Amino acid sequence: MRAKDHPAMRRYVRRFVPITVGYMASIALATFIIADNAPANALTIGLALLPGLAVLGWLWAMARLLVELDDEYLRMLEVRKMLVATGLTLAITSVWGLLELYSPEVPAMPVFFVFPMWCVGLAVGQLVNRFGFGDPGDCG
Amino acid sequence: MKNRLKVLRAERDWTQGDLADALGISRQSINAIETGKYDPSLPLAFRIADLFALPIEAIFMRD
Repeated sequence: MRAKDHPAMRRYVRRFVPITVGYMASIALATFIIADNAPANALTIGLALLPGLAVLGWLWAMARLLVELDDEYLRMLEVRKMLVATGLTLAITSVWGLLELYSPEVPAMPVFFVFPMWCVGLAVGQLVNRFGFGDPGDCG
Repeated sequence: MKNRLKVLRAERDWTQGDLADALGISRQSINAIETGKYDPSLPLAFRIADLFALPIEAIFMRD
C-alpha cells in the first residue's frame, strides 16, 4: 500500500476539499456583502464567522488524520510537519509581537495571518521531512 | 538500531510491498525501517517478529 492510498489519507482529502470550497465561498460572500468600514452588526459578525467555521473544519480534519492514521511511520511524518509548522508560527508571531510592543513603527500583524502562516509551516515541515530525513510523506 | 529485515525478506523472496501488505502498513514504512531511518515501536517490532517466526533480537540489534 502506498502512503497516499492509505484509507485515512483518502478520508482526509475527502474532508479537506469540501471544507476548502466552503472557506473560499464564505470569504467571497463576506467580501461581496460587507462593505468596507461597515458597522458591526449581527449580519457582518455572522458572515465573518463563517470562514472561521471552515478553519475549525480544517483543524478537525487534521486531528482526525492523526487519530485514524494507524501506520505509525506515516503518522510520525505528519506529526513532525505539524511540529515544524507550530515552531515556525510561534517563533514568527512571538518575535513580531515583541517588535510591535517595543517598536511603534512596526505594523501590527493581523491575527488572521496566523493560520495561513501555520499552513506554510506545514510545507516547510514537508521539506524538512524530505531533505532532513529523506522522506516527504504523501499528505501534502 | 540495526536490523536484518532486508535479508530476511530476501530469503523469502518477498518484496517490500509484500511485507508491507502482510503487516498492514505502507511500503514507505518498510523502506524507512530497512534503511534505518525509522525504528519501529515495540508493538510493530513484535508483529514483524511474529511474521518471521523469530525472536525480536534475531531481527533487531543494537548499533
